Amino acid sequence: MKDLVGLIPLLPLLGWFITGLFGKKLSRTAAGLIACSTVLGSFAISLGLFFEVEHLETHRFTVDFFSWISAGTLQVPFSFLIDPLSCLFLLIITGIGFLIHVYSFGYMHDDDGFARFFSYLNLFVFFMLLLVLGSNYLIMFVGWEGVGLCSYLLIGFWFKNTAYNKAANKAFIMNRIGDLGFLLGIILIFLTFDGNIGYAEVFDKAKYMSSGDGTITAITLLLFIGAMGKSAQIPLYTWLPDAMAGPTPVSALIHAATMVTAGIYMVARSNILYALSPVAMEVVAITGIVTALFAASIGLLQNDIKKVLAYSTVSQLGYMFLGLGVGAFTGAVFHVMTHAFFKALLFLGAGSVIHAMSGEQDIRKMGGLKKALPITYMTFLIGTLAIAGFPLFSGFFSKDEILAHAFDHNKVLWFLGMLGAVMTTFYMFRLFFVTFWGKFNGTKEQQYHLHESPKSMTIPLMVLAVLSLVGGFVGLPEIIGTHRLEEFLAPVFADSKMKLFHAPLSHDTEWTLLITASIVCVVVIAFAYQYFVVKGRRPAEEGEEISPLAKTVSNKYYIDELYEALFTKPLNWLSDKFYKIFELQVVDGIVNETGKLVNTLSGVLRLLQTGRIGFYLFAMVLSIILILFVTTF
Amino acid sequence: MVIAGLGVIAMLSEIFSFKKLLYPLVLLGLLAAAVLAGLDWNHDTRIPLFGNMIMFDNFSAAFTIVLSFTGFLWFIMARDSFNEESSLTDHYALALFSLAGAVVMVSFGNMTMLFLGIEILSIPLYVLAGSRKTDVHSNEAAFKYFLMGAFASGFLLFGIALVYGATGSFDIPKISLYVAEHATNLPGFFYAGVLMMLAGMAFKVSAVPFHFWAPDVYQGSPTTITAFMATIVKTAAFAALFRLFSNCFIPAATTWSGVVWTLAALTLLTGNITAVYQQSAKRMLAYSSIAHAGYMMLAILAMNKFSATAVLYYTASYSVSTIVSFTVLQLVAAHKGSDLLESFNGLAKKNSFVAVVMTIAILSLAGIPVTAGFFAKYYIFTSAIDSGFTALVIIAVIASLIGVYYYFMIIINMFFKESTDDSPFVIGAAHRFLLIVCTLLILALGLFPDIILRFWI
Repeated sequence: MKDLVGLIPLLPLLGWFITGLFGKKLSRTAAGLIACSTVLGSFAISLGLFFEVEHLETHRFTVDFFSWISAGTLQVPFSFLIDPLSCLFLLIITGIGFLIHVYSFGYMHDDDGFARFFSYLNLFVFFMLLLVLGSNYLIMFVGWEGVGLCSYLLIGFWFKNTAYNKAANKAFIMNRIGDLGFLLGIILIFLTFDGNIGYAEVFDKAKYMSSGDGTITAITLLLFIGAMGKSAQIPLYTWLPDAMAGPTPVSALIHAATMVTAGIYMVARSNILYALSPVAMEVVAITGIVTALFAASIGLLQNDIKKVLAYSTVSQLGYMFLGLGVGAFTGAVFHVMTHAFFKALLFLGAGSVIHAMSGEQDIRKMGGLKKALPITYMTFLIGTLAIAGFPLFSGFFSKDEILAHAFDHNKVLWFLGMLGAVMTTFYMFRLFFVTFWGKFNGTKEQQYHLHESPKSMTIPLMVLAVLSLVGGFVGLPEIIGTHRLEEFLAPVFADSKMKLFHAPLSHDTEWTLLITASIVCVVVIAFAYQYFVVKGRRPAEEGEEISPLAKTVSNKYYIDELYEALFTKPLNWLSDKFYKIFELQVVDGIVNETGKLVNTLSGVLRLLQTGRIGFYLFAMVLSIILILFVTTF
Repeated sequence: MVIAGLGVIAMLSEIFSFKKLLYPLVLLGLLAAAVLAGLDWNHDTRIPLFGNMIMFDNFSAAFTIVLSFTGFLWFIMARDSFNEESSLTDHYALALFSLAGAVVMVSFGNMTMLFLGIEILSIPLYVLAGSRKTDVHSNEAAFKYFLMGAFASGFLLFGIALVYGATGSFDIPKISLYVAEHATNLPGFFYAGVLMMLAGMAFKVSAVPFHFWAPDVYQGSPTTITAFMATIVKTAAFAALFRLFSNCFIPAATTWSGVVWTLAALTLLTGNITAVYQQSAKRMLAYSSIAHAGYMMLAILAMNKFSATAVLYYTASYSVSTIVSFTVLQLVAAHKGSDLLESFNGLAKKNSFVAVVMTIAILSLAGIPVTAGFFAKYYIFTSAIDSGFTALVIIAVIASLIGVYYYFMIIINMFFKESTDDSPFVIGAAHRFLLIVCTLLILALGLFPDIILRFWI
């Protein structure tokens, strides 16, 4: 399998190349098949690697391709690092990515940009694979930027709609802000670790450093700014809900398998650096929990099916960062995995609903869909239970692991985490009941067209449902069984575990936490059932009177407007002034005058070229004489 | 080895009887010459031939490869235009003789061989410049070129004589030794000789103020011949100039470096500035070719361990880009019947392949990154800065900024202006092949500059 590592990113790249260049000449089926099969191929190789790495003595190996950049002391090889962490991400990216590709086959079938869509998807997967495979920060950065580019292309996929383009721009710009932080972090690493940016060199050195170093804190905070942008944390999260503008499979790809998990991957990859800086860990944890609560509260009052899911992603990412911040590296990665399962499931389920509703996304216009869409209904239920953390579903175990660590770290964090979980359960079941239960609220025409989605869409849903159901069993808490995932990832986090060592929770406490979480979850579901099904309440319609607090929340706390007023408008004003004064008068003035001068000179010099040979010869002889004359004296 | 290469070339040109076979034979012969020169690579010791008349070392080998390969490309380009003429084989022979002269120029070991090389190179060119017998401009070009060339040869010969008078030898190593030993007490007429030689060579490379022939001759000659002058002649002349000065006259640098500095600055500014005003694309390229001589003179001036590589890299990238631009110019002129800049209008819509290829070549000439031209300028400039000629480099950078302006006029015409007619623009397979090969070379040199640089380092 080692020899095939290069193929993992190469296959999607090839897919992009073919579907991108020859998309118009290929039939839809051919384009779709190529795109799907390349990702499937990568998945197969990743699977092989996954089993291979576990049995290796060192649990890791590097594959060198060529010397990429060598400038002075900077030596950057183009090489891939295969270890448990990258293997797990490879599986998530290619596995979930493949299912999303298959789903898109059905979902995008009538779209004119079919081949273009698949070429972007493939490119997206390629960059994400590059991001996790690279053996140094620079390759990660290339993947990082590439993912940003692809998200821009895909969010603005329907580029004829101005609002969608704006959403794409927003995603790109927000990401750029984060990217700058990441880049500065890399430069600082380069300066701190004697010109090294390879993981092996940097982490080996970091191992022997003492905790609390100021430079390390700066590095980790800068890297975290990058993660904030990519993984949509406060204050750089506003792009993610707007990223809904893209076709639904793209949302699934961005939210579940790629892109947003990049930030988590980066922090998890740099775990040893974070372990050295308690300050940075604290910042990560607090940002995480605040984002989790904030986004969950917005989710409570959203009426767009995809918006609700989008805020739930922001909120769940917050949990992952909380996990990273309190030292639950495995827990965070575990949650990435289970979240990938159920979030992909929920998004694809939402896509199926939207498909059936002929493009309608407002849940107030839905209702009673469970009869028309039985498969979507069942799978969506599983996804909802998983994200709510219903006992034994995948989300239950991963969320519990993070919360248990948070409890150990600081009881307040645990309490806030539980509060977030309550909100999550509530808004997810609100979404679920309003959409699938009750009576249909759409137009007659929509009702007439209601239909279950084609097989290419329902099969991925079923696969994901199974994964969401059983995915949690790879990481059972110690009190119930073995944490297979922790054993698998142990080599990656071994060093930071030593640094952050603390006694594990007592079994009694752990049982208490588990049972509390289960009870809370069940109670909230019952409450939501009572509220939305038995009492038949529905979300407020447009224009209906609502309390000021509810209004603020449903308007997302006016954060977009705040950013607009705080940053966009002043910047626009400044740029306008610069344009009018500096650009039009100073720069243009200089440029135009220079241009005129050159033109005039050219006109004069041109006249020297008389065409008369006598003059030419005279000029030559005169020059010689001048040269001799000047040099002699 | 080199004789073998030259022999092939010379022999081929004598085969008058079977015309059809000649063309492929010429192409093969040129490739063979390049390969043979490559085989001579790194024979550590120099290979003296004909009693030191020719000294074949790494420098000569590298330039012979560049020259032969440029010749190869040039023959592909020139095929169609030669077919129009009645005396096909004559032209082949003349071009090959001229090329042989160029090879002699890059490998001379004796002043007389330098002079002979230049004359072997030039005389066929005088004829070729006038090869369109019925065209007044062609005749005018040939006449001007010949008359002024004779003058320049006179200067060169005079200079050689003076240097001989001072050092007592035509032999390069001997002169070199003599100059090094008597660096402080050389007679005044030695310096005069050096400067006269410089002037003679400056004529060949069309440096200002010895450039007056270039615009008129370049424009008047058939486009293929112009391309020959702009690539092979310029490469050979620069290699010869570099070889001469680096081998013999470094100890006398104080005398000539000021002159070269002035010539370079004048060439850069005059070439680039005058090009701005031109309406004819061909004439504009002629001025651009003058300007490029200015850049290369920086390397002569710098004269440090990178300079030889820089000149080699520059001539190679410049030649390839120039071949492309002249090929496209020739095609466009044939299509439209005029070589004015306007002829390029709307080319992108008619034939996007040609337009893109031309754009890449022009970007390379302008020195925009990713193309060969960027690194060519970069190496020349770093080499000059290393030797402390920062002021001149600043002038050169300003000059190349001006250059970007007129180069982009062609691109703008191709992409943003509408063509007045809509007749299809088609090109033959040979030209397509040529353009593809050259474009790949431009990009390859730009992306992996090491290919050529590795020769010396």
